[in-house]
Amino acid sequence: MVEIILDIAFVLIFFSIVFGIIRLVIGPDTVDRVVAVDLLTIIAIAVIALLAHIANRYIYLDVALVYGLLSFLGVLAVARYLEKGF
Amino acid sequence: MIALLTILLCAGILISGLLAVQLDNLVSAVISAGLASLFAAVVYVVLAAPDVAMTEASIGSGLSTMIFLYAIRKTRNGD
Repeated sequence: MVEIILDIAFVLIFFSIVFGIIRLVIGPDTVDRVVAVDLLTIIAIAVIALLAHIANRYIYLDVALVYGLLSFLGVLAVARYLEKGF
Repeated sequence: MIALLTILLCAGILISGLLAVQLDNLVSAVISAGLASLFAAVVYVVLAAPDVAMTEASIGSGLSTMIFLYAIRKTRNGD
């Protein structure tokens, strides 16, 4: 049962990364690329959580925590730059 | 399963690096460079180095992106 759920999660993560990269490549505007990077960061947090379960090392979840905080700050900085230039 | 994911992440690093070189808009290029280091951090987690991944995520993605945006703003004021 757990293996089936992990396989489904793996397939969903795989196609999410593929579609996020496609949006990053063909995105005509900067805002599209910012949203694509935010999406890929959240997917990367899911990847790290999946790896923490598979490798049975829960210290990896700290990396996911730092990752989530910094991606929020990064997207916030870029949005502030696009709005009024810091 | 992990190998397929690692190959996809490495392809993401490659595509992000090529976009950071090729794009004309400077802000898009900076964002693509930050994405390359974010994918590199995930690959470090796959390689069982969580401390290196944490440093890469904080410095490579957070700090350098903000410093690049600050530098772009400083240089565009002079034009």
